Amino acid sequence: MNKVWQRNIIRAIIILLIQLVLLKRIDITFGEFNYIHFTIYPLIIALLPYKMNKTLLVVVGFSLGFFVDLFYDSIGVHAFTTTFIAYMRIYVLNLLSPTEGYGKTGLTSFSYGIPWFLSYIGILLFMHLFLLYSLEAFSFIYIKEILLRTIFSFMASLFLLTVGQLIFNPKY
Amino acid sequence: MRNLITLILRYSALIAFLILELIAFFLIINYNKSQKEIWAHSSNLLSGNLFKQVEKIQDFFELQEVNDSLLTENAKLLETIINYRIDSKNNSFQRFEKLDTTFNYQLIPSRICNKTINVRNNYMTLCKGKNDGLKVGMGVISNNGVVGIIKTVSKDFATVLLVLNSQSRISAKVTSKNYFGNLIWDEGDVRSLSMVDVPKHADIAVGDSISTSGYSISFPPDIHIGTIESYSLIGGSNNYKIKVKMKEDVGAVEYVYAIKYLQAMEKDTLLRLENE
Repeated sequence: MNKVWQRNIIRAIIILLIQLVLLKRIDITFGEFNYIHFTIYPLIIALLPYKMNKTLLVVVGFSLGFFVDLFYDSIGVHAFTTTFIAYMRIYVLNLLSPTEGYGKTGLTSFSYGIPWFLSYIGILLFMHLFLLYSLEAFSFIYIKEILLRTIFSFMASLFLLTVGQLIFNPKY
Repeated sequence: MRNLITLILRYSALIAFLILELIAFFLIINYNKSQKEIWAHSSNLLSGNLFKQVEKIQDFFELQEVNDSLLTENAKLLETIINYRIDSKNNSFQRFEKLDTTFNYQLIPSRICNKTINVRNNYMTLCKGKNDGLKVGMGVISNNGVVGIIKTVSKDFATVLLVLNSQSRISAKVTSKNYFGNLIWDEGDVRSLSMVDVPKHADIAVGDSISTSGYSISFPPDIHIGTIESYSLIGGSNNYKIKVKMKEDVGAVEYVYAIKYLQAMEKDTLLRLENE
């Protein structure tokens, strides 16, 4: 049990470092096209143990989002989003429930295969990004920008996550 | 109590979720400039719209009251004008305003309860009657001219013989030239009357204004009625027949004023004596 937590904490620190130091600075802009922004830190929430207490999960989600907000200068926006996906995680998992159930080690592609993992992280990531950009704009009169941002960032981030998963292929 | 605790424990995730989302939302709208502005703006829009709707509904209910008060006000103004016209030759308006005499002509505003204008003898019913001071023989005008004469009154209602009635006959004149005649209605066109009994030496032209003469007890002088549209000599007669275009569309009138003439009795008795 302790080992699982250790792994999760170390993974969270590494992912946050990559996100906040590296990915935050990557700015892909072609003229007016600036819709790509890499966001991989929802992976931290996705990979937390399946049997984790739901309330604790929500609190962890909020803290994580708040921490990210401090770096993005957007107090509350990421916190709102991560709290949301932390709460929705169980429903997504129920939706994608494999026939033999969630008995295995971790919620990774190592345990349930690449297609399952892609749809799992894909749903969470899409919810995350859509909510994030909606809150950033804070008004649906910007719906076109919100959707463009969501879609392009979604594809770019999902690509990074898949590559990472294939390279490291974590067990937990 | 234990049940309550069980309940809270069971839904602790949901409760934590809702509370944290609420906190996050407050953080968003309090610590982010653009979100804060949008939030303030849209909540203003919402409450502003709500207030506007409430105001609208309130206005609708107050409409009748406002209408009535405006009608009374209009009646007062019109009354002043009518009485000043008679007096204007020897008075300036400033002096006239200060005079503290009761007006000879008084106006009683009224709504219209019912009217017909599409048959040969057209009538109108007023929503006021004897109780409000209406009497048989009073003239009825609107903002734009003559409407008719009261024919019968009951306690709360009065019937008006409209100018658009084959029995109607109203004394009138060509305003600037003082030629007198009588206005009758030749059925059909509800916007035009015929003026008869104007002698053929009269110097009239198309466009001249027609107004009441003030000879009858029903109407004060110089109430505008309409303008001359065309005129012709009646064959074998010394009189013109003038087609008058009415300014007022009687079919569209909603509020009218009955004219109370204080010296009516006196004038009426004199006229009767003359006839005998």
